[in-house]
Amino acid sequence: MTIKKTAQRGPINTDTDREGARRITGHRKNPMMHQLKHQLQPRMRIEYLKTFLLLLLALIIILPLALLFSSSLKDDRYQITAELGSLKAFFVPNPSFNNYIEILGPKAPVPMARFFLNSCIVMAGTVVGTLVVSTMTAYALLRGKFRFKRIIMTGIIALYIIPAEAIMLPLLFLSVKIHLSDTYIIQMLPFMASPIYIFLFHQFFKEIPASIAESAQIEGASFWKIFHLVFVPLNVPALVTVTILQGMESWNQYLWPLLVVRSENVRPMTVAIASFFSTSDIYWDRLFAASVVMMMPILVLYLAFQKYFIASIASSAVKG
Amino acid sequence: MKKEPENKLSRFSLLESFQELGMLTPALILLALFVVTPFIMSIPLSFTNQKLFPSPIPVKIIGLRNFRQILSDREFWQAIKNVFLFTLMILPTQCGFALLAAYFLNKQAIMKKTLRAMFFLPFITPMVIVTVIWATIYKYPTGLLNSFFQTVIPRFQEIDWLGNRHTALTAIVFLSAWQAYGFQMVIYLAGLQNIPEELYEAAAIDGAGGWKRFIYVTWPGLKNTTIFVLTITTIQALKLFTQVNILTHGGPLGSTNTLVHYMYEAGFIGQKIGYSAASSILMFLLVFAVVLAQRLLLKRMED
Repeated sequence: MTIKKTAQRGPINTDTDREGARRITGHRKNPMMHQLKHQLQPRMRIEYLKTFLLLLLALIIILPLALLFSSSLKDDRYQITAELGSLKAFFVPNPSFNNYIEILGPKAPVPMARFFLNSCIVMAGTVVGTLVVSTMTAYALLRGKFRFKRIIMTGIIALYIIPAEAIMLPLLFLSVKIHLSDTYIIQMLPFMASPIYIFLFHQFFKEIPASIAESAQIEGASFWKIFHLVFVPLNVPALVTVTILQGMESWNQYLWPLLVVRSENVRPMTVAIASFFSTSDIYWDRLFAASVVMMMPILVLYLAFQKYFIASIASSAVKG
Repeated sequence: MKKEPENKLSRFSLLESFQELGMLTPALILLALFVVTPFIMSIPLSFTNQKLFPSPIPVKIIGLRNFRQILSDREFWQAIKNVFLFTLMILPTQCGFALLAAYFLNKQAIMKKTLRAMFFLPFITPMVIVTVIWATIYKYPTGLLNSFFQTVIPRFQEIDWLGNRHTALTAIVFLSAWQAYGFQMVIYLAGLQNIPEELYEAAAIDGAGGWKRFIYVTWPGLKNTTIFVLTITTIQALKLFTQVNILTHGGPLGSTNTLVHYMYEAGFIGQKIGYSAASSILMFLLVFAVVLAQRLLLKRMED
């Protein structure tokens, strides 16, 4: 029984891969455990087989992404379409960055660099705006002394039930009426006061002991000071979470810019890439390169902060 | 002597309440302008023949004509049917695979982080890029999927996956599931962490094998997680738009038309804002019904 228990418990409580493997093999300094090692061997073999199968499955799953990267390095668009159906699609005998130069260079047929910049501006503005607006709101609704606090909070949460898609066409009509359509600002403003992020910050702020705020108050710190000197610095994880979630959402925004943006000056990457499909003869070489350019920032951030990405997604569900 | 500190205090609290309101106002203005106003506006708009841009036809109140027209429009019902079918197909595919992946990754000891990072990679891929990649996989006749089937099945006739009205919606289901299952997987992983280890140990002592432990310990322990996952996936399915808009434009023959795409075509392509506001209201009611159903289900299970 003890053997079974160790074998089971081992992988669950581990944090690092190596430690997990060590626990399964029972490789410990304890001589008795060492003696028992051979009995654990089949269990270990199953573990390795499982890992191998999972790895194989994971590779199959990310195969489409490999296709994206390999094709973007092929110079000739007829070569891309010709090789799409075979294993050649995944191999690049002579990689070239011509596609990238073609779409990002000064003589680009479509100003992809501009679209990329537009996406960056909209994302940065939306994220900063969201952070400022929702932390302030959450804090005021938690620590403020005005009346109707509860009702306002409930009202904000209730708005969460309205799907953005269900108000987008009336909102488009409104934006045209107030002459805000076809600007950066209209791509950012509607998403800044998001009920879900206000609620998320509210939950995080609640966990800060009231005594901290009270002692700051006795020291003479004002309402605003306690906010930006105590509450904001103490909630960096929440800030990171909202930055990741809202950043991804903004980067992927498609329907709203499709409706509200007309000129190339403010057009984001998503709409620009989708417009490649509107011609019957698709320039796959440029399309793949543009897609990689759009994918790259998220991919780099994801590989660098993988843990935070996954934790953010999880907390958005658990807290929300 | 006594008056001074009191005065100071009241001036101080005046500043405080000024700050409180100042911090609250931006969100209230934004929500009022960009959520409440369009939402309320859609009600009167839905009773008019309002166009997106000024047109020679005068705007007038036309009563329930928009609603009557929508409800008798075959395309609208097909969009509802498609969204319903899409939901039915994507729930088992996406959530099932997410649960499976989470279950095997949860107790994984070797290369845990690498595997999890790989499994999660599709979720961080923007949907627009997902459509680019899958457009080539589904490509007719030389795409990867067609040539795969040609190697496996002799004399396989190539299929225009996205151009055939019998396969287009299913093709959209698979690419959507591929992109989004990572989200459900992460939620399931969190749910699995909440199941106490003692339950597994007790089951093991009782002699329950892997499958039995899954049925009697894991699955009941994930009941609330599953309800949450199913609801959120259903709501996401009701909002289906990007993939369909880029790859099929709702075609062929309306077989991939969706609610949001219907609204988009009426309001943006057709410029009929009144008409699309009416369909927005119907969409809201549908989403509301799903959320309500989830609440009732959760409540009943608690009782």
